[in-house]
Amino acid sequence: MIKIHNNVISSIASIAAQEIEGVHKVGSNCKGDYLGRIIGRTFPCIKVEIDKNEEVFVEIPLVIKYGFNIPEIAAKVQENVRQALEKMTNLNIKDISINVQGIERG
Amino acid sequence: MRIFTVLGIVFYATVLILIGIGLITLAIIFSFDTTVIQPADLANSLNYFHTSLSSRLILGLSGLLLILISFSFAQLILGRFQREKTIAFNTPSGPVMVALTAVEDLIRRLTNLLPEIKELRPDVRATKKGIEVDLRVVLRSEANIPEITSRLQEITKSKIQDVLGVEGEVLINIHIVKIVTTEEKDKNKKTPDKEETVLPFGGYTRV
Repeated sequence: MIKIHNNVISSIASIAAQEIEGVHKVGSNCKGDYLGRIIGRTFPCIKVEIDKNEEVFVEIPLVIKYGFNIPEIAAKVQENVRQALEKMTNLNIKDISINVQGIERG
Repeated sequence: MRIFTVLGIVFYATVLILIGIGLITLAIIFSFDTTVIQPADLANSLNYFHTSLSSRLILGLSGLLLILISFSFAQLILGRFQREKTIAFNTPSGPVMVALTAVEDLIRRLTNLLPEIKELRPDVRATKKGIEVDLRVVLRSEANIPEITSRLQEITKSKIQDVLGVEGEVLINIHIVKIVTTEEKDKNKKTPDKEETVLPFGGYTRV
């Protein structure tokens, strides 16, 4: 049996999300990331949950570039992340939730 | 409601009720009999904590635990509030949530499009009717207010509809908080110019 760590799924999702034009970066500031806030450094934070039926739920926080259509970018990210995860892990991806945290400040 | 939130609320309610009951009891006792608790009793209790290592340890750990519980509880509540401040829609692959602060960032960028606007402070709310935007605007004095406000409303509305892809009602309220005069603007510009005219060795003269 092969087990894939949540961090691996998170990394694949992060890379796939950033491949889409219009994505400025994967958002940071997880809930409870006290240390990151205190030291002023935040890390990309993608939530991954795997339920009993081996179905994967992914939540991706994003910062979008100014001038791009959010629903379009979100749909592209969802599609690219789904393809990347299915191709690389063979897992059953149930939901990819996108959380747009901000628009890139110029 | 999550079990931790319920536990947190019950914990804080219990602690606050106990403190309240304690204070009321003390007030009642003191009003009838002033000999129940002597200052020496308090001094003895403090002395006990001072001398016993284990009691100090327990006291310190209780304090630490209380701080950690407070942080977790605050985080839960703040997280809940943050979660509520989003515009959400569903796609076949899953839900998409757009933070209202992201929409505010977007509106702030419009300042660059209209030179008459010096500053723009947006406040975005998602209501049942649609998206409601309150704009607090600082204008330059040469601006024609009815014209600029209607242009700003149009641009903001179309930008939100374009970027979010929503077709529902977008209500834009504009509140002009200040009009900056051209003199104020010039003052700010002149200050660095003066510094530039200072020449090195300017104070020296021929003898």
